[in-house]
Amino acid sequence: MRVFVSTNRLLSISLWIAILAGLLARPAFLHADDSKIEVRSIDFALRDGQYYLSADIHYQLTQTAREALQKGIPLYWDVLIKVVRERTWIWNKTLVDFKIRYRIQYHALLNHYRVTNITSSDSTSYASLPAALAGMSTIRNIAVLNEGDIAEDESYQVGVKTRFDREALPLPLRPAAYINPQWYLSSDWLQWPVQK
Amino acid sequence: MRFPLAPLIAVLFGLVLLSLQLMSSATQESSQLNEMYSSLLIINALGSVVLLGLIGVNIVSLTQQLKKREAGSKLTIRMVSLFVLLALAPASIVFFFSMQFLHQGIDSWFNVEIDRAMEDSLELSQASLDQRMRWHLRQTQQLVDQLYETKSETQRMDDLEKIRAQAGAAEMTLFSRQGRIIASSSINPGDIIPHLPDEHAWLNVRRNDHYVALDSTKEEQLRVHVIVAVSTQDIQYLQALYPIPLRIMDLADLVEFAFVRYQEMNFLRDSLKLSFSLALSLVLLMSLLAAIWVAFISIRNIVAPVKELVKGTQAIAAGHYNQQLPVLTQDDLGFLVISFNDMAQRIAKARDETRLAGIEVENQRAYLETILANLTAGVISFDKDFRIRTANQAAYRIFHLQVSGFYGQTLLDLSKEHSDLADPLRKIQHLLENAEDIWEQRIAFLGPNGLQELLCRGTPLYSPEGRSIGAVVVFDDATDLIQAQKNAAWGEVARRLAHEIKNPLTPIQLSAERLQHKLANELQPKSLAILQRSTETIVQQVEAMKEMVDDFSEYARVSKKQTEHINLPSLIQEVLALYASQGGAKFTTSVEEEIMMINADRISIRQVLHNLIKNALEATEKNGNVKITVSNRFKNNARFVEMAFHDDGLGIKEEHLDKIFEPYVTTKAKGTGLGLAIVKKIIEEHGGAIWIDTGYKAGAGFVIQLPAV
Repeated sequence: MRVFVSTNRLLSISLWIAILAGLLARPAFLHADDSKIEVRSIDFALRDGQYYLSADIHYQLTQTAREALQKGIPLYWDVLIKVVRERTWIWNKTLVDFKIRYRIQYHALLNHYRVTNITSSDSTSYASLPAALAGMSTIRNIAVLNEGDIAEDESYQVGVKTRFDREALPLPLRPAAYINPQWYLSSDWLQWPVQK
Repeated sequence: MRFPLAPLIAVLFGLVLLSLQLMSSATQESSQLNEMYSSLLIINALGSVVLLGLIGVNIVSLTQQLKKREAGSKLTIRMVSLFVLLALAPASIVFFFSMQFLHQGIDSWFNVEIDRAMEDSLELSQASLDQRMRWHLRQTQQLVDQLYETKSETQRMDDLEKIRAQAGAAEMTLFSRQGRIIASSSINPGDIIPHLPDEHAWLNVRRNDHYVALDSTKEEQLRVHVIVAVSTQDIQYLQALYPIPLRIMDLADLVEFAFVRYQEMNFLRDSLKLSFSLALSLVLLMSLLAAIWVAFISIRNIVAPVKELVKGTQAIAAGHYNQQLPVLTQDDLGFLVISFNDMAQRIAKARDETRLAGIEVENQRAYLETILANLTAGVISFDKDFRIRTANQAAYRIFHLQVSGFYGQTLLDLSKEHSDLADPLRKIQHLLENAEDIWEQRIAFLGPNGLQELLCRGTPLYSPEGRSIGAVVVFDDATDLIQAQKNAAWGEVARRLAHEIKNPLTPIQLSAERLQHKLANELQPKSLAILQRSTETIVQQVEAMKEMVDDFSEYARVSKKQTEHINLPSLIQEVLALYASQGGAKFTTSVEEEIMMINADRISIRQVLHNLIKNALEATEKNGNVKITVSNRFKNNARFVEMAFHDDGLGIKEEHLDKIFEPYVTTKAKGTGLGLAIVKKIIEEHGGAIWIDTGYKAGAGFVIQLPAV
């Protein structure tokens, strides 16, 4: 997915290398659990002259992430949404590129989880973690494009990815977050051709 | 092209410090730089890598220099090692203790009591809120009874309003069984739509007839959310929302915040240690690396003049004196370089002067050598072991050999090669070895041109300290001079003899004859006989005396030779023919070749032959044998004709050997004693030599050598 490589990605790669070079002998990591975060489905449909995006993302936390959350550390995800026009000879043209930022935080006093959509500043409390994750996982009917933005004779791709924001972690955790697979909480891109 | 290093280093150090400072600031929670932490970490790590690379390059180049044994490389290595050691040791100690303090410090934040207290305080606030919730539930349940009696819609609204105010709730809503809003009352008249319970709440209410929970509003304010069933035939639900007093909420918030913060810190303890250690290590690494790099650069700068000096010294050692080093610094090393340049200049100057002086000396030497070479006197110098050091041309001329070919040899070595010169050489060597002061000696030897007389003068040479450093021998060929002196002396004798002796002889003879003539008639026959005998004796003796004086004057006379080419064997035969008629000795001749030419005065050579033959005849008895041998000889690059006379007569007595050729030396009763002297004179006048064959014991043996044509 060369198309979607961002500066953040580059940063993370270089940090990876630097930290690997810095902390020499760290034991090799095993994928401790099968927690997998992925974009399960995308629905990109035209209604009333507008394209609406819906997506289902499956979140599942690793042991470490869960523990950090329980200890009051807020976790941030960015759901990245991109629409590109495919071009044969040159780079694809990006039509839409925006993100929805989520935060999940545990409130010890009330013993509940609070999911905040920072982009729209909606927040909801959930009594349990699965409920909170489920609350975060559905994206419904986001107006992405006008009908006129899509040309008939071109082909388009819509991509969704959720990226865990390591940089939002408390500072001491950040270096480790780049090398510990327990903190690999981002999904891959899921691409879907735009149906006209 | 040298770029200014000092500002570069300053800038680099500034950057290192800045980036470290930024990283350190980034760790502060409130800092704007917090977000840049990872980037800063990378930048610093990259900086370390770059520095490491720089140091690596330096180390590699230094190792290569060391392998090539380049000047100054060892000094650089020593200084760099020292510097690194000096920098590393305290930094490591500080690092070690900082790490320890850091870890202990972080660990000391956490302990079981605080842990417990935190949890307890949270529990306390939870309990407090819980109690409040239960109290509100009970309060709401009691309120339901008052609501129960109401009938009409408007009345119900008023009741609700009243109850809400009485209970101190923020909002009260009455729902139908289906969840429809029947009536609602809010402390805030602006709130038209009441809070709607979620599925979870409904589920609870239907199951337990009541629901109570803490809720947070959009403004993050806590409130107690209570729903109770109103027990009538058509079941209704009363929802009440009670605000939590601000003070309590603040306290709860603070407790929660503190608890969460503590929990978080506890959770992050290891990560915190790691990240602090990482930062600290980076700081240490970067400062060390920067210090080492700067050490490399500054040491290189310090060593540069030393390097130049070493190169310069090597160049000077190799003889390149025109070496001028660049003055890089104005410090002591610069001073050293300036001094070195001065020294090199002076050496170059001194070298030039020495060279000029050398040329001068060489010229002088050549001049002296020319003079020496053109001296008629031979000069040979010897070292302290009496080996030949120098010899001039005259020495060769006199000795007839290339003395210079024997440099480094002693005269004894030389005498082994040239047996004919053995005698004089040995004599000189002997004199050299035994002389302590200037000596002078006349040495005679048989050279190719006959007997040579050398006037040698030796001077031992001493160093200023008085050590013997050799000797110098100067010798002149005095043959001609001595001969001339001898001839002059004998000439004088002859002149005197002629004058003093010969003059009175004629009157004596005349007087004797006159006596005889006058007295012949007057004397008795007896007396006459006596007279006649006596006068005859006188006349005879006078004649003999005259003859002797003539002989002698002839010997002493400076000869006027008329040389021509003579075939010696035929001349010998000619002369021998004159003696053939005489009885007595027998002559045998053996001739190597029929024709052996010499360049000589025929009369003189005849006389030589006569004298020698006469000599032999007189020496032998009747029936004696005389053997004449004529042969070719080659010596000292010159050809000679050798003529030897051997008889079997009485021989020559030992004591006469060295004087036999002097005038008036004779072993015979009669004769003037001039025969051999004249022979020797004639032979020497012809550049030949005569000597007695001392090896021949059967009689007398004479050997004559004359230069061959």
